[in-house]
Amino acid sequence: MHQLVGYHRPESIEDAVGLLDGPNRVALAGGTTIFHDGGGNPVELVDLQSLGLSGISANGSRVEIGATATLQSLADSDVIPDLIRSAAKADQPSTLRSLATVGGSVGAADGDSLLVAALLVHDATVAFADERLVPLEQVLADRLSQGDLIVSVSVASGGPTAMAATGRTPKDVPIVAVVGRVGPDDTRLAACGVGPVPQLVTVGSLGQLDPPGDFRGTAAYRMHLVKVLTARVLGELS
Amino acid sequence: MTTITIELNGESTTAEAEPHESLFRVLRRLGMFSVKYGSATGETGAAAVLLDGALVSSEVVLALQADGHRVTTVESLNTESGLHPIQAAFAMTGALQSGYSAGAMVLGTMALLERNPVPSEDDIRDMLSGILDRETGYVKPVEAVLRAAAVMRGDSVEPFGPLIVPTMTDGTNPATIDPNDGGPTASPAVPRVVPSIDVPEMAVVGKGEVKVDALKLVKGNPAFTDDIELRGMLYAKVLHSPHAYARIVSIDDAAALALPGVHAVLHHGNTPRVKYASGGQSWPNPHPYDQVSFDDTVRHVGDRVAAVAAESIELAEEAVRLIDVTYEVLPAVFDELEAIKPGAPVIHSEADTDEIYDRDRNIVHRFEAERGDVEAAFVAGPNVFEGTFRVHQVQPVPIEPHISIAWLDSDERMIVRTATQVPFHTRRMLAPLIGMEIKNIRVIKPRIGGGFGAKQEMLIEDIVAHLAIATRRPVRLELTREEEFWASRTRHPQTITFRSAVDDDGTLIAQHMRVVGNTGAYGTHGYTVQAVSGLRGLTSYNAPNKRFDCDVAYTNIPIPGAYRGYGAPQAEFALESHMEDIAHALGRDPLEFKRQNWVKLGDEMNMAPHIGERATDGTVELDEYPRVMSSGIEECVAQGQRSIGWHRRLDAAWRQPADRPHIRRGLGFAFCMHGSGIPFLDMGGCSIKINDDGSFNMLVGATDLGTGADTVLGQIAAEVLGVRLEDIIVYSSDTDVTPFDTGAYASSTTYISGTAAKMAAEVVRKRIKERAAEMLGVEEPCTLELHDRSIWAPDGRSVTMEELALHTLHWEDQEQIMGTASFMSPDCPPPFAAQFVEIEVDTQTGQVEVIKMTMAVDCGVAINPITASGQVEGGMVQALGYAHCEEYAYDDEGRMLNDRLGPYKIYRADEMPQTEVFLVQTLEDSGPFGAKAVAEIPKDGVAPAIRNAIINATGVAINNLPFTPERVWSALQSAEV
Repeated sequence: MHQLVGYHRPESIEDAVGLLDGPNRVALAGGTTIFHDGGGNPVELVDLQSLGLSGISANGSRVEIGATATLQSLADSDVIPDLIRSAAKADQPSTLRSLATVGGSVGAADGDSLLVAALLVHDATVAFADERLVPLEQVLADRLSQGDLIVSVSVASGGPTAMAATGRTPKDVPIVAVVGRVGPDDTRLAACGVGPVPQLVTVGSLGQLDPPGDFRGTAAYRMHLVKVLTARVLGELS
Repeated sequence: MTTITIELNGESTTAEAEPHESLFRVLRRLGMFSVKYGSATGETGAAAVLLDGALVSSEVVLALQADGHRVTTVESLNTESGLHPIQAAFAMTGALQSGYSAGAMVLGTMALLERNPVPSEDDIRDMLSGILDRETGYVKPVEAVLRAAAVMRGDSVEPFGPLIVPTMTDGTNPATIDPNDGGPTASPAVPRVVPSIDVPEMAVVGKGEVKVDALKLVKGNPAFTDDIELRGMLYAKVLHSPHAYARIVSIDDAAALALPGVHAVLHHGNTPRVKYASGGQSWPNPHPYDQVSFDDTVRHVGDRVAAVAAESIELAEEAVRLIDVTYEVLPAVFDELEAIKPGAPVIHSEADTDEIYDRDRNIVHRFEAERGDVEAAFVAGPNVFEGTFRVHQVQPVPIEPHISIAWLDSDERMIVRTATQVPFHTRRMLAPLIGMEIKNIRVIKPRIGGGFGAKQEMLIEDIVAHLAIATRRPVRLELTREEEFWASRTRHPQTITFRSAVDDDGTLIAQHMRVVGNTGAYGTHGYTVQAVSGLRGLTSYNAPNKRFDCDVAYTNIPIPGAYRGYGAPQAEFALESHMEDIAHALGRDPLEFKRQNWVKLGDEMNMAPHIGERATDGTVELDEYPRVMSSGIEECVAQGQRSIGWHRRLDAAWRQPADRPHIRRGLGFAFCMHGSGIPFLDMGGCSIKINDDGSFNMLVGATDLGTGADTVLGQIAAEVLGVRLEDIIVYSSDTDVTPFDTGAYASSTTYISGTAAKMAAEVVRKRIKERAAEMLGVEEPCTLELHDRSIWAPDGRSVTMEELALHTLHWEDQEQIMGTASFMSPDCPPPFAAQFVEIEVDTQTGQVEVIKMTMAVDCGVAINPITASGQVEGGMVQALGYAHCEEYAYDDEGRMLNDRLGPYKIYRADEMPQTEVFLVQTLEDSGPFGAKAVAEIPKDGVAPAIRNAIINATGVAINNLPFTPERVWSALQSAEV
């Protein structure tokens, strides 16, 4: 766990950006990972709860999700696409779901996060405080830099979706999961459990994946799973 | 420090908090004792509270984050002496076992019902998904929420109680099952009680009484070890070994001691070297004594190096970091078969550990027992079969971790308030380690948040006691969840080989079981767990020739010890798998083949006297062997077959659903048999006295861990004394106050301590009758009867219990009517059970999904069908974890990779298979009111039943646990299914 030596609760995005610019500052979104991340370095937390970033609103064919919207509020919202709702529910159990946030999930970019995979196939773009709009896959590839503050995530709504997963138990974090969505232009597929972050995949690119193996599944097994599950998702979408 | 203001249970409340402190910590400081520690990372949900109305784990909310917000704990409901309808529903349905997470569940229910007054079962299970429960299998908590919702809507609600299910057999012969008969329909939480004509109707016994501790648990009243405040208390932390095997070259504690607020640092350099074995077992404890409080050698990652006492947890942690240790790292060995090979690292080379069987080969124990002549039978036997099985390492995972607080009282006696299953053993074992006499030690067991064997151990009591002596202040030590994984106790991994010889007609002629058990760094429980494996592995089936061979190996894994089921789940997995394989090889129906050979009423249990702590020579034939005196197995099988739809196992269309081409379905069965206590060893004591109002104080040494033992013992006494359960005030397990009991283990409490309770109540009843006879002018006291809180003469006249109490305490020939008794049993009547499961296998991924588990148990007379069925439900779910998803994963250096809940996966509420529990009544004459044990048998059958169901589904037999997707997929690949 980090050594937490300071706490700030800015009231404006400008103040938050200023505070995050200092040394050893970490944004506190929901807090569900802060207790098991970090190497014992002293850090000061910048709590985002008072920035008014928890709103969810439909905007034409897209939905804007505030960075501090909780996973529970995603699961409960009827403007959020169903795949994202169920992925938000799947990522955390009841007692952590009202704390964890969409911005925190993107920031943490856990390679096993179904929510992040679901956001990927919903063409998510991430809006930062400095007004950059970056496709989620780019954010995941570059990772966040010191001082970055996510203010919202925008996703495309609509389109048939499908999900397939293999896990030790029905609600366990999947060993590998694949989600898919038929968009206006193409079918997007994303997988988790096959790399350090969830990633967009195509049938043709599956062979290039290089999944990490662990006690839940070796690399070879994960490669097998991603192929089987991708075929199932495509079968369901066709 | 920062001052925060929260609206706590409706009142504006200020508190001081550091930036790193969790809301959990601050709430405990504010006296909100219902909020319980489960892990620093929030996965258990034991510390869940409502934050602005939403259920959140307060361990992962910073106190400063909560500043300005509304916080609700279960204490908000406790403004009156009665119970809120939600609390009442949890109490009535038996949804509380230890009740450690009761506050979280009640709050979650409150929040859910506020949002949704008509929740579906899925809604309820989702609400409970973040509150891990190791005790109930979630069956009764779900029922509690459904009933609370109905009550709060104003709907009428039937009282909760058992469903009486008609018998299907004559008690001896198999039943013919009608495939169209689906059996009883009722909520899965309702225990299905199959009555027996042998069992008379009783007033309190056999009734689903509300647990005697329900009120304090459901209100979150301070009742657990940590729920006291002691002035000047210090916090302890342990420095654990980072190496699997190393010698400590030097320890420098100067920097740690120099830290202001650090009061003591203990290690091998300043602590006496007193040898002991930490397993909580009867004197003189199975040898060798291979442990000391702090050693100069560490033998597993997580082994003790040093301990610190400081004025805060943070200071203690900082001091631990400042201890400078130089290690000489040694080669380590983890696998039991590798460890006993010549040339393996020798793990206990120290000169002062005696009675290691073969030190150079790491074999701490070897034992053997034989009946008949097994080798001759194998030579002669027409059909010989062999199978080898590997069972893995898992953890009991009580949601309350180990916690102990020690202090010197005004007489300077050592008081230890501790989460233990074995207070009396702990007192005795602690004495030599801390250099005090037993009479100067008092061990108090308050409410315990689950134990399951992990607390059948003197695990940390010596540390807090040493530190309390060194500092002369109270000292508290609580393990973190991570420490619980690598520094408490686990189930023994084993490699098991069965060999059987079978006649052409399917009769077993010989059975040979060889076990290599892995006892890790120390031998605690190593002898007895493996002995139970032999006993259980070689008692279920009749064969004239039987042999048990066992080596128990030291390795460098975190220490196996006691875990509910002891060595039985390992043995019965191997046995029920092996028997299944023989049946398939012989072309026999597995259940029929097992039935042909399993022990029946009147059969000898011919290995029992030869294996275990009090075994007689394993090769000498005795004149007499214990026999099965009660068995309801055929009724169990029939009820289970009907419940699971057993006929479908042969239905190809069902097994291969046409619309789901990669799915195969299967059904599996396992025959289960356990014991009731340890004969000639376990002993329980009880004393009872009458009070002015005709109530009774009952003091028992038995150790309720959440099992409902206090309730069951109270019911037994109430039945004898003709009063209600509420008239019995039960106090358990305080070594200064209550009689002795060996402790809560070996499925002994109902049978052993229950008989003691019955006998003590009978002593009191005898005297009550004598005094009542005088009051009523009746000549023969034995003609009086006790019922309905009165003593009745044959002519219908009566005195009330209160009148009798006042008369005898205050009026005439004053005396305290009281009685004491203790009980040790020469018998160990086996409970029997039929375990059935339905599963689906995904043949493309190897994923196994368990759809339904049915267990029908013959536990004799269920003293309390609600708590008994709760034991079965919770036990089956632990067994499901063992079979399906729980395992210790290590790196090459012996460091655990998954020391968090989540990566170490235990089942949660929203992913549970259906469960159905039948309690098949039989009358066991040797037990109290006909009772046998029920606590451990639910651990025995799930793993083999799932394995056998995988065979039914795919034809593939897997001999290693657990059935995780990749393991199953690999097996299917090898078999090309």
